[in-house]
Amino acid sequence: MNPPLPRTVAEYLDQLRIALRGADPALIQDALYDAEDHVRSELAENPGKSEAEVLAKIVTSYGAPDEVAGIYVDKEHQVQQALRAPPQPEHKTLLGRFFGVGADPRAYASLFYMLLSLATGIFYFVWAVAGLSISIGTSVLIFGLAFAVLFFGTVRVLSLVEGRIIEVMLGERMPRRPVYAERGKPVMSRIKDMFVDPRTWSTLLYMLLMLPLGIIYFTIAVTGTTLSLALMVAPVALILRSLDIISGGGIYIDGEMFMPPIIALPLAFALGVFLLFAMLHLARGVGRFQAALAKNLLVKSAD
Amino acid sequence: MGEIESHLWKFHKELSAGIVSLVLLAVLARATSPMYGYQIAKQLDETGEGVLSGKQSALYPVLRNLEASGLLASEVEPSVAGPPRRYYRITALGRRVLDEWTYVWTATRDFVNTVMEGT
Repeated sequence: MNPPLPRTVAEYLDQLRIALRGADPALIQDALYDAEDHVRSELAENPGKSEAEVLAKIVTSYGAPDEVAGIYVDKEHQVQQALRAPPQPEHKTLLGRFFGVGADPRAYASLFYMLLSLATGIFYFVWAVAGLSISIGTSVLIFGLAFAVLFFGTVRVLSLVEGRIIEVMLGERMPRRPVYAERGKPVMSRIKDMFVDPRTWSTLLYMLLMLPLGIIYFTIAVTGTTLSLALMVAPVALILRSLDIISGGGIYIDGEMFMPPIIALPLAFALGVFLLFAMLHLARGVGRFQAALAKNLLVKSAD
Repeated sequence: MGEIESHLWKFHKELSAGIVSLVLLAVLARATSPMYGYQIAKQLDETGEGVLSGKQSALYPVLRNLEASGLLASEVEPSVAGPPRRYYRITALGRRVLDEWTYVWTATRDFVNTVMEGT
């Protein structure tokens, strides 16, 4: 059974949302943005016509909601196939699976994201806390309302920016368009829309969470990589020192220089290599976790 | 009726995949100033019937993809009514690619015509 012809913009978008049910939430946000942008442009172009008349035209020019949904899902499929990295060769052995991570560009990108997250985490946290406090503090004044609108607007933009970072570095499909914000509505109803939108609050929660997460990610990434690199370099340094090519250094315990037994040298090196690859696995895991977190808190759920 | 329609729909879909990109590049290469999505859709609608009629929604994802691959560039500008608009223009790379595509298109068109006329 076909749904009835949409008569208002909201009905059209609802039908489109229903037709897209089950698709990636980020894709749904993009499709809804494009549709609303087009429909509102058409409305602005024909001020004399009623909303129902314009929508009847939209259905034949832009497409009926289920057609539009089909086009977006198809296009997404094509693009995903074109952009997808060639599949990693499947490693059968445990050893192959463990060291295979070294050839996965995602792992390095995730490691870099872990380092970057400290900077973005501090920025998001400060921005959210400062913006919220000023908004609440000045909310008794007219100025406070204007400030709150501005602040929540920046939160939306930051949500889009973080989404772009996540998609590029962690490979999770995130929205490419912002949430459609209507300019025409009076200020009060726009404020109300922002306040009742659960996504506003979940985005703020994400921004606050990013500080502790960023600190943890950064600390793990820095200590993990330095420790494993140090373990790998230490035996070489010790050999060079015993050949008097380099001098100084060494570990002193009670004034006596500590000389590790010879057998410890290859062990330290092996441990360093193991730790480095374990770090890459961990980074990839963190990347997946972070992508799932961002998808849940930054993108509107599909229903 | 239903069967023929579904074949037609499938053909439309397969045909439009590459043509939409070509048409968008061609429109923006001729444009004197950057254009936004709705403007392009409007202009194509006025040009006539074709593979895109009734399916203008297909334009928007393609515009984004062309931009992502560097053939188009865009700026966002505020508008009097409605949200800010994204204005697209063709890049130097886009023009070079369009030249190549035009050559392929012309050759294909002539070839298809020749085959269908059955010389």
